[in-house]
Amino acid sequence: MKEIESFHDAIRDVSAIAYTIKKKSKKIIGYLCSYAPEELIVAAGCHPMRLFSSKSDIVLAENHLQAYCCSLVRGVLEDSLSGRLDFLDGTVFPHTCDSIQRLSDIWRMNGRYEFFADVVLPAKLNTQSARTYMKDVLTRFKTDLEAATGKTITDADLSDAIKKVNLIRNHLSTIYTLNSRNPGLITGGDLYAIVKGSMVMDRDIVADLLPVIVTRLEQTQPPVTSAKRIVVSGSICDSPVFYTAIEAAGGVIVGDDLCTGQRWFEGKISEDIDPLTAISERYMDRMNCPAKHTTLTARGENLLALAEKNTAHGIIFMLQKFCDPHAFDTPYLKKFLDEKKIKHMVLEMDDQQQRSGQLSTRIETFIHMI
Amino acid sequence: MMYAGIDIGSNTAKAAVIKDGQLLGTQVIPTGYNPVTAGIKVFDLLLEKTAQVKTEIAAIVATGYGRASVEFADKAMTEIICHATGAYFMNPTIRGIIDVGGQDSKAILLDTSGRVENFAMNDKCAAGTGRFLEVMANTLEVTLDQLGNFSRRADTPSKISSICTVFAESEVISMIANQQRRENIIAGLHESAAARVAILANKINIREPVMMTGGVAKNSGMVTALENRLGFELLVGELAQENGAIGAAVLASNLSNK
Amino acid sequence: MPDTPLETKKITAAKKMRELMTHYYIDALSASQNNKQVAWITSGGPVEPLLAMDIIPVYPENHGAMIGAAKMGENLCEKAENMGYSSDLCAYARADIACSVFKGGPLGGLPKPDMLICCNNICGTVLKWYEVQARFYNVPLFILDTPVCHTGYTAEIARYVQAQVDEYIAFLETLTKRKFNRDKMARIGKLSIDAQRLWQKVLNTTAHKPSPMSAFDAFFFLALIVTLRGTQIAVDFYTDLLAEMEERIKNNISSIPNERYRLLWDNLPIWYQLKWMSGKFSEHHACLVADTYTSAWCGTLDYIDEHHYLDSMAQAYTRIYLNIGVDQMADQVIDMVRWYAADGLVMHSNRSCKPYSFGQMDIMRIVREKTNIPVLMIEADMVDPGNFSQSQVETRIDAFMEIVKHRGHGYDVCRH
Repeated sequence: MKEIESFHDAIRDVSAIAYTIKKKSKKIIGYLCSYAPEELIVAAGCHPMRLFSSKSDIVLAENHLQAYCCSLVRGVLEDSLSGRLDFLDGTVFPHTCDSIQRLSDIWRMNGRYEFFADVVLPAKLNTQSARTYMKDVLTRFKTDLEAATGKTITDADLSDAIKKVNLIRNHLSTIYTLNSRNPGLITGGDLYAIVKGSMVMDRDIVADLLPVIVTRLEQTQPPVTSAKRIVVSGSICDSPVFYTAIEAAGGVIVGDDLCTGQRWFEGKISEDIDPLTAISERYMDRMNCPAKHTTLTARGENLLALAEKNTAHGIIFMLQKFCDPHAFDTPYLKKFLDEKKIKHMVLEMDDQQQRSGQLSTRIETFIHMI
Repeated sequence: MMYAGIDIGSNTAKAAVIKDGQLLGTQVIPTGYNPVTAGIKVFDLLLEKTAQVKTEIAAIVATGYGRASVEFADKAMTEIICHATGAYFMNPTIRGIIDVGGQDSKAILLDTSGRVENFAMNDKCAAGTGRFLEVMANTLEVTLDQLGNFSRRADTPSKISSICTVFAESEVISMIANQQRRENIIAGLHESAAARVAILANKINIREPVMMTGGVAKNSGMVTALENRLGFELLVGELAQENGAIGAAVLASNLSNK
Repeated sequence: MPDTPLETKKITAAKKMRELMTHYYIDALSASQNNKQVAWITSGGPVEPLLAMDIIPVYPENHGAMIGAAKMGENLCEKAENMGYSSDLCAYARADIACSVFKGGPLGGLPKPDMLICCNNICGTVLKWYEVQARFYNVPLFILDTPVCHTGYTAEIARYVQAQVDEYIAFLETLTKRKFNRDKMARIGKLSIDAQRLWQKVLNTTAHKPSPMSAFDAFFFLALIVTLRGTQIAVDFYTDLLAEMEERIKNNISSIPNERYRLLWDNLPIWYQLKWMSGKFSEHHACLVADTYTSAWCGTLDYIDEHHYLDSMAQAYTRIYLNIGVDQMADQVIDMVRWYAADGLVMHSNRSCKPYSFGQMDIMRIVREKTNIPVLMIEADMVDPGNFSQSQVETRIDAFMEIVKHRGHGYDVCRH
């Protein structure tokens, strides 16, 4: 499908996409985390660009971050220091984990781009004072963006941005639902490209392409398959080899709890209330990342619900090496699954060093086992 | 009918052939640089040893890291499934397997019909693998085969606290400099490696009886250290190293029985 | 070399300190028999309201340090790994989580908590760690969320933390079924400030050449300011300790024999190697005169209003050393280098503590540029010896000391 090809093209060469966007004199604001309030960036007339590591060798970042820092944080810093992100006009760092917190300092002290903002989000999301604070920090970010662009962000701008972002998220959600209903309707590699592409491409283009893809998929005859249904849980999953390895082993991904997946796009923003409040509410109420606190068992319950809704045969945890928030949750999440007799496996991954031999051995055995 | 299994590991290539549910013979050679030729060679040598001809073999399953390199195999399966099947074939009461190979260590849990119920593998770090012991054997100027004997003669095993292979090596070097007995250092290394492997076994709540497979099972020092760590006895067969290949051969027979 | 070696002698307050700590832990362990409630609290958490409510505070991090110093970390960390906790996680958290289940460690486990108070001003790890414990013990968890002041303490952060101080008190009132006593709080606040001031004065004495104590002593004497600040016990103890230090200065008693080089330490100590390490530096006539870690418990005195303790507490707890930007941390390190006249900086790159360790390399660069002193980085871990190589660290220290000596920053105390 040529619409899907556009997404593959985009993620193959992100800087090409970036320079095309810059030609439209849009400023590009980068970020590393699914808590970055993209809606505000869109409303400011800028382009929100999720940053992924290019997985190049770590050379320059070695002078700033030790080897026990995760490969995403080190990798993105390396890209910045070596000039691979020179298309950026600025970056925003929403507060999540300790590693990104320090990356923000190092990034700011390096002063490579014109615009810089910390959005020091609350770490707990279950109180009224945190709710008030969330809106306060988003208001501050809005003011920062206005100062940087010299343009006032009106409620109408915010409402338009919300509509656009909602449209994109709804369609991604629909694609997931269609694929879960008819596994194999779309390949894992395509799904990966669409989701990742939606975080880097011009959102106007994404908003045009996704409805076409949905319509096409609805008309496609689903293949007959006996593939094992897998739900993936973790932080980022930026390894195409992972998707192909699952398919090669006779599995299919039917849902995820990833910050480069459903955690990023599920959760609609209300279009009926004050826009800034609506955005703030959405970030309070969406499925939380383990670096944020809601309730003690929210993530376990969500994972079970995901597994049940998608009738999963098994769960694969994609654990980024040195990702503390996820590593702390893994034992309790496993226990939750054990109690329901849902099979699971932990795969520890590293952007930089992927031993695909061991990866496929584990995935093949797991899928054979379930 | 005859069936063969070929296991291409990082250090050695193994092959096994079974006939009417009975093991006819096995073969082990070093893998060397080229896994493709290793696969062909180990298979040829096995046929020669058992005086069989290629055309008599009904199906072949390949396993191990080089499983994709065995082009003449009918199917490739992971070594975890093959080890489980091999252990069950040799002894159907087996419920757990600890497999320590050249670059990987694994703990496998079997159900009563010999299927994999759960498994755990070491992460990318070499701690607790054959590679770890190999590096240390080099530093201590002993061969891999001698490790077990040295270990048995230890009086007070040295304490190796570093998990990282590079750190542990520097620790060993300073122990040599301090003139600690080689026997004690080796016993300490076995205890350190055993601790890493025991973590894998605990992760899956391994159940007895447990068989130890893989090349490192030939090292009696490591077996003893593991037994002490786990608090139960490990069954080590004569064919521990060939177990994966045997399992592959059994799986090959299932393949054509279907 | 001086003809008559200068006198070194043990600090006598150490014995008293051991007694006080033993007493504190006995009280905590027998809390339930005495109908007292126990709260587990993070080391940087606001303990004063707990004392005002007669709740006994217990510090898993202090316990972690004890486990490390008793060299019991390796075993407990391995147990945690068996429970599924990655060996890359904070070793305090791993040891504590394992200790709760297996009742190990020097105390046979901490007293069971009635509540958990988690303040994330030191790291995000405590949030996850306390969640684990809240599930395990099934007790209420209060989170005091102190947003990171990357570039400053903004008005919205102030409002948010202030609101949480009120929530904290309401939480305590609910759990104790008692009314919060503001007068008592004011008295405790005053005691806390007094203890912090005394602790700062104790640390300041090491600016004297030769230094009457070292950072290794400070790591030990720290336990009281962490666990008992807000009590008369801490005030009395640090008053005595300060007097002893002043006495030592007067009599020219130094921490190490023939101090010639003065070093600053960054990050938590390597608890299981304190003795070896202090001996190692001492061999080179180097005294670790100060550190960034122990001063964190008195670093925000400027923000405290002693007449309005509860109101100023929010700011003081939010702006502690680890909860600010790396550039501000570098400024503080430079201030310390100058105040203590340090000849070198030793940084512990601590695998267990990411917010303390990431950014160290930038601090290293800034310190080198602005002060021109040599900087050494040691790769280790505060509790888990699995990430430590003694011979490697030894070589690095020896090489570093050669550079320090070569720079000629050292001085000969006998010249005075």
